[in-house]
Amino acid sequence: MAQSKHIIVVGCGRLGGLLATRLSHSGHKIVVIDKREAAFDKLSADFSGFRFVGDVTELSILRQADIEHADYLFAVTTLDNTNLMVAQVARHIFHVPHVVARVFDPLREAVYCDFGIQTISPTKLALENFMSCVL
Amino acid sequence: MRYYAYLLAHYRLILKYSGGLLALIGVLNAVPLLVIAFYLDEMLHAPAFLLASVPLFVLGSLLWTHIKQSEEYSLSVQDGYVIVMLSWVFAISASALPFMLVSNLNFTQAWFEATSGWTTTGLSVVDVKNAPKIILFHRSFLQLAGGAGFAIIALSVLSSVGNVGLSMAEGRTDQLAPHVRQSANIVLRMYAGYIVFGVLALKLAGMGWFDAVNHAFAAIATGGFSTHPNSIGHWNNAAIELVIIVLMLIGTTNFFLSYTLLKGKVRAFFRSGEVRIFLVILPLACLLLLFVVTMPLYNMLDIALRVALFEAVSAGTSTGFSLVSYHNWSGFGWLMLVLLMLIGGGSGSTSGGLKYLRVYILYKAIMWEFKRVFMPTHMVNEPAIWQGEKRELLVDKQVRQVAVYLGIYLAAFVLGCGAFMAHGYGFQESVFEYASTLATAGLSVGITQADMPALLLWLQSVTMLLGRLEFFAVIIGVVKLVTDVRRLLFKDGVGV
Repeated sequence: MAQSKHIIVVGCGRLGGLLATRLSHSGHKIVVIDKREAAFDKLSADFSGFRFVGDVTELSILRQADIEHADYLFAVTTLDNTNLMVAQVARHIFHVPHVVARVFDPLREAVYCDFGIQTISPTKLALENFMSCVL
Repeated sequence: MRYYAYLLAHYRLILKYSGGLLALIGVLNAVPLLVIAFYLDEMLHAPAFLLASVPLFVLGSLLWTHIKQSEEYSLSVQDGYVIVMLSWVFAISASALPFMLVSNLNFTQAWFEATSGWTTTGLSVVDVKNAPKIILFHRSFLQLAGGAGFAIIALSVLSSVGNVGLSMAEGRTDQLAPHVRQSANIVLRMYAGYIVFGVLALKLAGMGWFDAVNHAFAAIATGGFSTHPNSIGHWNNAAIELVIIVLMLIGTTNFFLSYTLLKGKVRAFFRSGEVRIFLVILPLACLLLLFVVTMPLYNMLDIALRVALFEAVSAGTSTGFSLVSYHNWSGFGWLMLVLLMLIGGGSGSTSGGLKYLRVYILYKAIMWEFKRVFMPTHMVNEPAIWQGEKRELLVDKQVRQVAVYLGIYLAAFVLGCGAFMAHGYGFQESVFEYASTLATAGLSVGITQADMPALLLWLQSVTMLLGRLEFFAVIIGVVKLVTDVRRLLFKDGVGV
C-alpha cells in the first residue's frame, strides 16, 4: 500500500460490496453508503471501513462520510439517475478529484462526459465481450 | 471433500495469524527485562523471562512467515474467535512461567496471577512485599498489554493484517477511523499518551519513578495490581489518590468517545448515553457511600470523602485499587461496591463487567416498553441512543443481545457465588469476591490468597477470562475449534 486513499463507495450491491471489500483489504479508507442496512451483509470481514445507512441524494449523509476530504467517489447504485446526481454533487459542490459513476444506459454516457464525470458502462462492456465471441 | 479443503485452508490461516500473535506475546514477555538495566542485581531472574519469550517468538515467527496468505480465502469473524481464544490461553500460560520460576508459585497460582494480569483484574496471590522488582513490573506490564488487547497491538504491529475478524472477536466494535489498522494506531497512540501523562502526574504527586510507572500502567488499564500490600492506602496521600482517580476514569472511558472528546466535540461526548448514565450512577453511589457508610465510620469529613470517592471510582471502573479494608464496612457498603463492580466500566475501554452501555440500553428498553402503552397505536416513533456523534436506533436485535448477555452474566454470577459458598465461605464474602472476579475488578475482602483451594483458583481464572472476553469469544472459539478439529481428524460430516 503506497498511500491510503479516502474513498467513498455509494451503493453496496453486488458490485459495490465487492469493490468496497477489495479496496479496504488493500489498505484504503473506505466509507460505504447504502439505503438499506441489510445491503452491508455483502461485506466480508476483510472490509474494515465505515458503513452509513442513508439516502445519498441528501447532502448531510455525504458530509457525514467526510466527502470534503475524499480522494475518490464511486457511484455504483443500480439507478443511473442516482449515480448521475451523486457524481455531479461530488464533482461540482465538493470538488472530489476523482469521480467514477456506473451507467447502464449507453446513450446517457455522453451526458456524463459533458459534466466531466468518468463513466463505466457494464452494458457496453458486456456488449464488447459478446461481440468478441463471434469473431 | 470441498468443505474439507475449505476447512483446511481456513485453519492454515488461523495458524498463521496465531503465529503472528505468539511472536508478539514473546516480545511482550521480554519487555520486563528492561528493568534489569535499572536494577542490576535482578540479572539472575533474566533466564525465566527469556524462557517465557524466546521459544514463543521463534515458533510464532516461523508460523507467521512460512505459511502463505492464500488469495482465495480470508479470515472470517469466526476464525477470529478461535485465534483470540487460542492466543489468550497461550499468552497466559507463557506469562505464568516467570511467576513459577522466580516467585515459586505452583502452576495453579501462577496461571491465576497471569490471568489476573492479562484480564486487567488485579486479584493477586503473589507476596508483593518480598517480590523482586522485575516480577512487580511483569505484573503491571501484563495489565498494560491486556488492557489494550491483542487485536489493537497486532493490527498496529503486524503489517498485512487488515481484517476486522480479530478486533470483532475481541469485542472492539467501535472504529475511530475508516480503516481498522488506522483506527488501531490511533487507539494505541492515545493509550501511550495516557500512560506518559499518568507516569508524570504520579511522579509529581509524590511517588517514586518505579511506583509511578507501575501504578500508571495498572490504573490506565483499569487493572489494579499494586507494588504495595496496602495498595494506594500505602501512601495516604490525597494528591496521589486524585491522580489515580483521574487515570481510572480515563481508562474506563470508551476509546471511541474519548477520541470524540479529544477532537474537541464536548457536546457530542456528553450527549452519549453511556457517559450520561455513568455520570448519574457513579456520583450517586459516591454520595450514598459517603453518607451511609464512610461518614459514620471514619467521623472525619475529609477522610470519609476521600475513601468514598476513591473506592466508588475504583469499583465503578473495574480497577480494584483500594485505600482501606472493608471488614468494618456495613452490608450496605458491600452491596454498593458489588453493584458498581458488576456494572463495571465503559464499553470499548479497558474495563470489564456488564458495561454502562448495556445498562443504558436496558434502561432505554424498559422505559420504551412503558411509554409504548400510552402512545397512539399508529404512531411512528423509535427510540434512539447517541454514541458520540452517531445517532443509533434502538432495534430489537440490540435489546435481545443485551438481554441474553445479562442472562449469561447473572447465571455465571450465581453459579460462581455458589461454588465459593460450597467451599465454606460466608455469603457476603463469596458474593463480593466473585463479583470482583467476574467483572475483572480486583477488589478483595481477603479470600483470594495463595493457599485457597486450587479448584476455586481455577474457577476464578476461567471466570476472569470469560469476563474479559465477554463469554462469547471463549465459548464460540472453543466450540468451533472442537467441532472443526474433529471434522479434520476423522473426516466426520464433511461429505468425504
